[in-house]
This record gives sequence, C-alpha cells and structure tokens, in this order.
Amino acid sequence: MGSRALLMLTNFNFKATVSSFGSASNPFFLIKNNLRIRNFSTKTRSSLQPPDLPGLAETARISLAPNEVEEFAPKIGQVIDWFGQLQAVDLDNVEPAIRADTEGDNLREDVPQTFENKEALIASVPSYEEPYIKVPKVLNKE
Amino acid sequence: MGLPGALPVLNSKVIEFAVKLGLALNCKLSLNSKFDRKQYFYPDLPKGYQISQFDIPIATGGYVDLDLPLEFGGGHRKFGITRVHIEEDAGKLLHSGNGDYSQVDLNRAGVPLLEIVSEPDMRTGIEAAEYAAELQRVVRYLGISNGNMQEGSLRCDVNVSIRPVGQSEFGTKVEIKNLNSFSSINRAIDFEISRQALLHSQGQSDQIVQETRLWEEGAQKTVTMRKKEGLSDYRYFPEPDLPEVILTPEYVDSISNSLPELPEAKRRRYEKMGLSMQDVLFLANDMNVAEYFDATLSSGADIKLAANWIMGDIAAYMKNEKLSINDIKLTPQELAELIASIKSGTISGKIGKEILSELLAKGGTVKGLIEEKDLIQIADPVEIGKMIDKVISENPKQLEQYRGGKTKLQGFFAGQVMKLSKGKANPGLLNKILLEKLNGQS
Repeated sequence: MGSRALLMLTNFNFKATVSSFGSASNPFFLIKNNLRIRNFSTKTRSSLQPPDLPGLAETARISLAPNEVEEFAPKIGQVIDWFGQLQAVDLDNVEPAIRADTEGDNLREDVPQTFENKEALIASVPSYEEPYIKVPKVLNKE
Repeated sequence: MGLPGALPVLNSKVIEFAVKLGLALNCKLSLNSKFDRKQYFYPDLPKGYQISQFDIPIATGGYVDLDLPLEFGGGHRKFGITRVHIEEDAGKLLHSGNGDYSQVDLNRAGVPLLEIVSEPDMRTGIEAAEYAAELQRVVRYLGISNGNMQEGSLRCDVNVSIRPVGQSEFGTKVEIKNLNSFSSINRAIDFEISRQALLHSQGQSDQIVQETRLWEEGAQKTVTMRKKEGLSDYRYFPEPDLPEVILTPEYVDSISNSLPELPEAKRRRYEKMGLSMQDVLFLANDMNVAEYFDATLSSGADIKLAANWIMGDIAAYMKNEKLSINDIKLTPQELAELIASIKSGTISGKIGKEILSELLAKGGTVKGLIEEKDLIQIADPVEIGKMIDKVISENPKQLEQYRGGKTKLQGFFAGQVMKLSKGKANPGLLNKILLEKLNGQS
C-alpha cells in the first residue's frame, strides 16, 4: 500500500516551521515514535498487480472455463482498483485500527442453550447415517 | 453447522480462561485482540472457514518451567511459549473401514478452545512429553480443563526437524498427527528424529520434505499422510461477525489475583522445605495430592513424616483400591493427628500403621480409635518389667537356652511380651529391660 510504504521508509518527518518554537535557521525534526509496523493478514496487492484468477478459483473451489477467466479477470481487477483508491489517503497521523466497529462487546454466558428444532437441523442434512453426517472420503485438507 | 443466517457470539468464559492461561504461562497479554477467518475446505468445517486469531492473538511470548522426572535423568527445563490464541473447534471426522465414505460429527463444531504454540525449544521426545504433561498440570490447577488426552480435552500435534551440529538454521520440519497420549508424543518424536537422522546419514536428507505424517501406535512409526506443497493459503481476514476482545487492566488484575499456586511455584516451595526432588515431583504433580499434603502440614504435621506417609502407605492403599486421594476416608487433619501421636509416643509406630488402614477405609478419628481399642503405648518400665517377668517365668526352657548361648531367643521373648501387651509395649524400652532381665541383671 502506497502510504504505508512511505511510513516504513521514513522514520521521521522533517517539518520546517515558522512558528515560535524554533527560528527559521533551526528547523526541528518531528520524530515519529508511534509507528507500528504490522504484518498484514492477507496478501497485499498493489493496484499494479493483476489478480491470479486461476489460483483464486482453485482456492475458492470454483471451476472456471478459460473464457470465463478471460472475462472475469479484468472485472475483478477493476474491483481491486476501486478499493485501491484508499491508497490515496494520508495515514501519517492515524493509529492502525484493529477493527472497524465501535460497538462494545457482545458476549454470551457459558451456559448451554437447547435448540428447539433439532429435527429440522437433521432433516436438512442430505446424507444422514445416524448419528453421523455421511460425506465423501476426503483425506487432504486443501 | 454453517446454516445461513446463524451468527457466532463470543463466549465470555473463554476470554477468562485465555487470560488465566496466558498469565499462568508468563505471557504478555494483548489488551486488544481480534478474530480472523482461516479459510479452507474440509468436511468437518461446515462454514468453510474456522474462526481463529491470526496476527493479534490474546497472549504471546511466555514460558513454562518444569522438572524432568528422575527416571529420565531429571533436570530443570524452561520452554518458550510463542502464543496462546482463541479459536473455534471443528467437527470430528471419522473414516469408515471400507474406505469410500467418511462420517462427520458436528457436536463440538463451534465450541471455543485455546491453542498453545511452543517455541522449538525441546530436544528429545521426553522433553516434549513432559512439556505436554506440564500444560495438563497447569490447566488442571487453573480449573480451566481436565486436560485428558483420551477424551480429546487436550490434543497435541508436533513438528520435528533436525540439523547438523553447528548449523544454526533449522532443518525441514515435519508435522506429526494422531498423538493420543504423552507416551506416544515421546515415542513418535524419538522415532521421527531417528528416521530423519538415518536419511541424513545415508546422504538422503533431501528426502525429508515438509509434510504431515501420522503416528501409527500399533506399528510404532510415522507414515506419510499427505505432502504439503508449499504453505496453505488460508486467506485470513478479520472476522466481521465478532467484536474486538478488549481486556481492561482491572479485569486482568482481578484474574491475576485469583490464580492458585501453580505447579512450578509449588515445586519450588516444596524444594525449599527440604524435600528431595523425588518427593517434590510426587507431591506436586497431582493437584489433589498437593492439596492434601498442604492441608496435613497446616494441621501441624512434620513435613518429612507427612510426605513419607502420603508417598508410602497411603499411596499404596490408593493404588490397591484404585482410589484417588479425594476418595480416601482419612482426612488430612487426622493424618496430622496420627503423625503427632506417634511422634509424642502416645502410640507406637506399629500401632500407628495398623490403625491407618482402618482410618483409610472407614474414617474416624485417631483419638477415638486409640480410646476405643485401648491402644495407648505402654512406656512405664515397671509395667513392662512385670510383663517380662511373667513371660520369662512361663518359659523357663527358653530362658535356659538363652543363658546357654542362644541369644537369638531374645526375639522370641520380645514377641511374647508384645503379644501379652497387645502390641502396646514400647519396643525400645521392652528390649532394653528384657535384655537386662535375661542377662540376670535385675
């Protein structure tokens, strides 16, 4: 991300000031010591890199024909670029947020609650071999 | 079950348990942490993602201290803890015998659990097994889990790599799954170390690939399960359906102040009391035994004597009757009373052992039993002397044999006096006076 890269490269902001804090010949350095270098939780994509559609489709278990790959790749690229507008925001003075919500915690007590309609749950299972759900044999996780 | 419209709600208890565990493992707690989605497809994961904590777990950078059992060489170890995080459990997948389908049980899907990741600090199977045993001890002491591997309350996967002496980079690591007990952790790791070392020695270290292997208990070896081609891309992103986990310093402090004495602190305290390492490990390893021991001490018992009774006769009884220390009828207070009665000479050591069995099985009080069965030790020399005189007079032949040189007969006389006194004669006094009389000195 553009602005974050800028933060990482420079450890201080040099601001020449004309306020009363310092004379014009003695510019003072504003040292940023509240930088947090964080590892990002997903692969970061700069707006320059096109999405790897076949790879994405594979991990999402969605089959795409070659013409679909050709058709969707630019569209997905456009969506990414649309989000890429966020790179223009100046994050110099912003503390990274962990989450976007402002609501307080919504917790539950550690008390079991009976679900009244278990039959409906079980009825929704396509292949039931009491008391298990029958599934094809899959040995490899991804 | 991944039903559309169903949303997760965070369980407040798991936060409390996470903080307790983080503190007990000497970690740094993140006062703000969040959840992430770990996305992959597998039949036991109905939603197609597992709610976990990826980059900001609730606790990081801790350690655990332990003492290796003496039968494995003993020694103190300190192992680093990389992180502790909260995540949800997946369902349980069972593979059918004939192999063309599997079965899923979703009862535990969505139940919160804590994952503990250690630093790669262990060097042998026994170190890793003891580390796991210590974690079990800690969670039991904290009361957050019974830590039973057989029930799946505590599950363990290991990663093993080896490197030539002098090399600082770690070798290729291999994951091992299906470890169901501490001993299989021990044996699987030692096996895997040998397997990798053998390949190295044959110049085939490139055959060691990053993969997941299964421990086969029957064959006592690891086998390939699947080869990992590169790291999985779990496409982590912050879980939108769960709020941030915010810990206030007050919350953390209140939990910190409520922590019980943990195994390591207990071991060091017992050591300072002068107990040997063997005693320390026996008494501190089981939380209930430690509690019993501490209660006996606080009733005034001598440290070493209390330790001996618990580790000796009482442990033997428990093993015989297959009872835990919480089931025996002898209370810590009465054990202290028993020890004191013997120490003061009120009853003899032999009588003490005899009433112990009754106390263990039926309970009751030491004082009560002593009175009921008239067990008070006879320590009056005059009274003992009278009994000795009686026995001697009733056994003239043996007296003659003794005075003729068969000094071993002293034991015979002593036994007869004991019988006469119903076991109550003080053995030391008895033998002293007996000897005098037999030798004609009184």
